[in-house]
Amino acid sequence: MRLIPGSTIPQETKGTDKLTLVDFSADWCAPCKMLHPVLDKLTTELNDRVNFMTVDIDRDPATANQFGIRGVPTMIIFHGGKEVDRMVGFRDKASLKRDLEALAVGTLG
Amino acid sequence: MSFKIEIGAVNSGAGSSENSYQLVIAGGGPAALSAAIYAARYGIKHLVVESWQPGGQAALTAEIENYPGFSSVAGSDLTNAMKQQATAAGAVFVMETVESAEEKNGKILIKTDLGQYTSDYLIIATGAAPATLGVPGEEKYYGRGVSFCATCDAPFFKGKKAIVVGGGDSAVKEALHLTHVVSELGLVHRRDKLRAEPYLAKKLVEHEKVTTWWNSHLVEVTGDDQGVTGVILDTPEGRKHIETNGVFLYVGTVPATEPFKSLVDLDGKKAVVTRNIVGTSNPRVFAAGDVTNNGFRQVVTAVSEGARASAAIFELLENEE
Repeated sequence: MRLIPGSTIPQETKGTDKLTLVDFSADWCAPCKMLHPVLDKLTTELNDRVNFMTVDIDRDPATANQFGIRGVPTMIIFHGGKEVDRMVGFRDKASLKRDLEALAVGTLG
Repeated sequence: MSFKIEIGAVNSGAGSSENSYQLVIAGGGPAALSAAIYAARYGIKHLVVESWQPGGQAALTAEIENYPGFSSVAGSDLTNAMKQQATAAGAVFVMETVESAEEKNGKILIKTDLGQYTSDYLIIATGAAPATLGVPGEEKYYGRGVSFCATCDAPFFKGKKAIVVGGGDSAVKEALHLTHVVSELGLVHRRDKLRAEPYLAKKLVEHEKVTTWWNSHLVEVTGDDQGVTGVILDTPEGRKHIETNGVFLYVGTVPATEPFKSLVDLDGKKAVVTRNIVGTSNPRVFAAGDVTNNGFRQVVTAVSEGARASAAIFELLENEE
């Protein structure tokens, strides 16, 4: 999963036909660390429908503030540069995959 | 294909096929990790199915001050150390979600999102998830000021106002953690005294940043596009609107027993009803930690119950031979 600067979220999320999941995360956050292997696995499994990237809120506090992040991990899912869903807290792989697949069907057709 | 993280040596107990075990341990918190340490050391052919969430609730606790041997230890450090110990002992883990468990041909059949396993015995150590209040605004502002984890989210409230709802150990510990960062902290409790350890309760109530709202209930979380702006409380003096940026909820837990409800007796709060501490209504199923109705939900009791459960199963397996 790629670490990106928050300033690149607009071009990262607009320049693709796929969904983009941006994980807002922090080094000190235990559930964030638990979530990373889940997202790494889904990066491979959902490669054809979802791009995965992460923003470190300590490096990018302005971006976190801009997106109204007040808890980590927060995952925002974008399509065409627009937020289509938001999930807060640790998610296990099965339920996250199920929700992303459903979102992909609903959004990408 | 099953996604297996096999950490440590594969143990060499009895069992005829790859997915057949003497013991499956469901869970990833202190109770499960302790059970795994003992199972591995006893040489029981076992599998730990851990999902939500590695380290359990304990991993989300900022500081644990009542676990013997440590004056103060971060919950995540303690559970990481337990996992490392279990791994070194030969415990085998998979990251999967248990979806159902049933009895079949004298064995326990455990189905996960990625596969299925049969086992002679099962330890349910799946813990509990935070309970919600179900009040307006709670779900809408979850992640935008409403939180169930001060350890995770406290930095967002540096120099801001927050309230904590609850009166047990978790509420008080996490409230004390918040006092390090917030400008003001309100404590809302439905009774006129805290249930938490008196030492911690006194430290919190006497803290200069803390205002207490006794015999009070949170009835609504209010906010705007940016997130939480306040709460409405029912207090003995009537309904009050309090300005706050953060709302931290510690109003109990819901045991994670859904996949096991046909296998063992549950009480009215969905906790596994235990017999002799770790036994259940099903002789092939044991339970340990916050998932049980044992009442005293502490790391120290969870690890004790996990150890007892594995020891009891070891004895049963020995007698079957």
